[in-house]
Amino acid sequence: MTKRTGWWTLLAVLLPLLILILSLAVGSYRIPPKDLVHTVAGLISPSRHPDLPPAYKDILLHIRLPRLLLALIVGAALSLSGAALQALFKNPLVNEYILGISSGAGFGAALSLVFLGRGFPPQVAAFGFALLAVFAVLTIAGRSESSVVPLLLTGVVVSAFFQALLALVVYFASPYALQTLFFWLMGNLALATWRDVLLAGPVMLAAAGVLILLRWRLNVLSMSETEARSLGVHVRREKILVILVATLATAAATSVAGIIGWIGLIGPHLVRMAVGAENRRVIPLSAAFGACFLMLADDAARMAVSFEIPVGIFTSILGIPVFVYLLVKAKKVWL
Amino acid sequence: MSIRVRNLAFDYKDFRLRVADLGFERSRLTAIVGPNGAGKTTFLKCLGSLLPISAGAVMVDDRDLVRFKNRERARRIGYVPQEHGSVFNYAVLDFVLLGRAAHLPVFAMPSADDERLAREALDYVGLRMFAERPIAQLSSGERRLALIARALAQATEILLMDEPTTFLDMKHEVEILDLVRRLAREAGKTVVCTLHNLDMALKYADTMVFMKAGAVLAAGPPDSVLSEALLERVYDIPIRILAVDGRRVLLR
Amino acid sequence: MSLKGKRTASFLIWPALVLILASPAPSGQSRRTVVDSLGRTVSVPERAERILSLQPEISRIIVALGAGEKLVGVDYFLRRFDHAVSLVFPKALELPLVTRLGEDVNLELVLNLKPDVIFVSPSESWLADSLEAKIPMPVAAFSSLGSFENLFREMEFVGDLIGRRGRADELVRFARAELKAVRDAIGARPASSRPRAYLAFYSSLLRTNTSYEPLSEAGGVNAAADLLPVALGTKEAVVNVERLLAWDPDLILIQGNYLPAERAVTVESVLGDVRLRSLRAVQGRRVTYTFGFWHWWDPAQVLLETRYLARLFHPDLFPGFEFEAEGNRLYKAFYGRDGVFSRVSKTLKCEEWILD
Repeated sequence: MTKRTGWWTLLAVLLPLLILILSLAVGSYRIPPKDLVHTVAGLISPSRHPDLPPAYKDILLHIRLPRLLLALIVGAALSLSGAALQALFKNPLVNEYILGISSGAGFGAALSLVFLGRGFPPQVAAFGFALLAVFAVLTIAGRSESSVVPLLLTGVVVSAFFQALLALVVYFASPYALQTLFFWLMGNLALATWRDVLLAGPVMLAAAGVLILLRWRLNVLSMSETEARSLGVHVRREKILVILVATLATAAATSVAGIIGWIGLIGPHLVRMAVGAENRRVIPLSAAFGACFLMLADDAARMAVSFEIPVGIFTSILGIPVFVYLLVKAKKVWL
Repeated sequence: MSIRVRNLAFDYKDFRLRVADLGFERSRLTAIVGPNGAGKTTFLKCLGSLLPISAGAVMVDDRDLVRFKNRERARRIGYVPQEHGSVFNYAVLDFVLLGRAAHLPVFAMPSADDERLAREALDYVGLRMFAERPIAQLSSGERRLALIARALAQATEILLMDEPTTFLDMKHEVEILDLVRRLAREAGKTVVCTLHNLDMALKYADTMVFMKAGAVLAAGPPDSVLSEALLERVYDIPIRILAVDGRRVLLR
Repeated sequence: MSLKGKRTASFLIWPALVLILASPAPSGQSRRTVVDSLGRTVSVPERAERILSLQPEISRIIVALGAGEKLVGVDYFLRRFDHAVSLVFPKALELPLVTRLGEDVNLELVLNLKPDVIFVSPSESWLADSLEAKIPMPVAAFSSLGSFENLFREMEFVGDLIGRRGRADELVRFARAELKAVRDAIGARPASSRPRAYLAFYSSLLRTNTSYEPLSEAGGVNAAADLLPVALGTKEAVVNVERLLAWDPDLILIQGNYLPAERAVTVESVLGDVRLRSLRAVQGRRVTYTFGFWHWWDPAQVLLETRYLARLFHPDLFPGFEFEAEGNRLYKAFYGRDGVFSRVSKTLKCEEWILD
């Protein structure tokens, strides 16, 4: 386990960074590669490269870099959460939105846009209501928390409830609030600013860190209730810990990037197909995969057309066929 | 007594389990037998604190088990379930490694020592060759051995096993029970199993516990408690006990 | 996920069918066919007395033609976002409100109002067909779509419809004369002295119109002219910041028809946006508002806009331009009242718009 883990760890760290650097070259504003390199060098030591158009620097530093960083962190956070929840709920079809996060966040954003106007960032309310939704799920599922079915079922019900509320708010919204909301709901990184990265980034990174620390423990938690308990795990407490941390990561990601689907489902699956279900590998590699995948999807979105297509559409367009192909081709039992 | 029961009561819907006073010794194999629905597995789970009891106590080293923290309890009592049907296909070694959870804090990774202990457990049950194999590819007998290995890696004094021989053919049945008895005799563990097969139970067990309808009808070494009257009371059919080649044989 | 709530009114199909089958054909009423902005062929009565207009442009034209009393119902927009209607035709505010979002048309109310024809906006392209399937009245989707010729044809058509063709022709002549005056003043200014302007419309920095006639009539060039419109028929396009940086327009014009408090994109927000600071328009502070276009115009306002833009693009050619006076003149020509634009200007803070 140790020798191969070393290689995988290296890959998990280096590949996203590589893709980040290469993705800096993608965008509507054509910057020749040589100038790109000079601009980056110029950022580090400004005095040596004074002749470049100021637009280059602004594009790199204020448009592309925050967007890519956000894609990296959001992709990692969503994929990690999905992987952790799949282990926890012993169900590889679970995704990071299963406990009502996306519906809660959508409702929060809509409420904020309609009542607080477009000047107030919808991220705050989105984050708040995402947490509220999960809290509602945990409370309602109540005593029977120890069995996973009521939790999932309650998640479905709470999701439906918030979606209905969302439809109600949307009905009374002005067309202009609706436009902004629609753009946000479809999931996109176009509005990414440094403020988003600096506010939501630390939350996601901290949550991701905790989940990575818990990677072996998730193996134990993926056993049946009885077994996990017999192995000495305080099932209820540790389950709540995982849910809480995964929720924080997903809520923070959703509040700044909208609802981007499929990452938390496809990432861990593909990783398990490649390296098996052991979570010491699956967890960090899922993070790396999610980061790369979202950056690449965003690159595709930016290269394909001159206007902004919500990146959520691209994660589906890219992800689903890849997933189906691998499912069909996979011969061995990979679960 | 390694583990002792005092006035244990467990209720679930219409089912009542009552066990007044029962003890299990170290280096001994105890078999809990009885018809379906007698409450054997339930009792075993109560012993392992895997089901909440309504009254009474399970005492380990003269301390009430509910006072133990989870990790502490898991370092004293290991549980081997009847089957393992996990969704995730871990490698056998990684699966056995999970037994070390009781010895690791929440955020810790298994160390080289933990891995060594897991391998030793695999060796003990004879699964060394299978270390890297995904667990779903094992036969049910081999999977049963893996579950036992996991409990061994847990390094507990007490081992509770639920029906370790169901669905196994005769050869594997004997192998597993040989292993289980070695665990008691050589490794000095307190082993408590529920067993379906009365013949095998009588052959291997040091102590028998006969259960029916949530109550213990008799408990003790087979020679002391076994009688045709008892068997008829427990199983509701007449059973004859014969001696063949100095071994006990049961005729239904 | 469905964004807007849908009111299924399929239960109304039955009473509607009964109505169609039971009601006799209008006796003696001749009809004409017209092709609307969506290419649909609609059969409308020769003359209409009761008009339900869910298209603010049409509503304003009808009021300008002096036939406001023929309006039987309006849509949400006119009540909420038209800054001049309270002066020009206050009765519009009391007309029944038939729809808020477009999809939620109150069919029973529509039937009760018994309109002879219903106008909708082509921006909700499905609405026309969906309405016609449920009610017996003709539904036509009209809009100028940012073209003056379309606007004039619309005015003539509406004039015919309500028997005010004379007045319509008069207004069209007036409008053409206005445009000609501007065109002549600009003369044959070469392309190099025609400033390139980027239109930030629809309350977003990144949504623009690829073809906007007031801009070209005023002697400017649309920075987004090389783009394909997102949906044919509306000439809108959505871009990203990098493309805007690549264009580097001389001027940025923000849609100013929104109330100042409701503007999501403002001059300050553009000037303060750190991503845009390399733009020459930002550095030269050549960022301001223009009236802009949702999917409908006010005919008086669009002429004013052309003059205003001409002044903005070529200040040396229009030295005597007085915003408020010009506005009042044009609004009076259409709506017959004084001081209308003063009110609008105060609401939209137009006095801040002129640069230099």
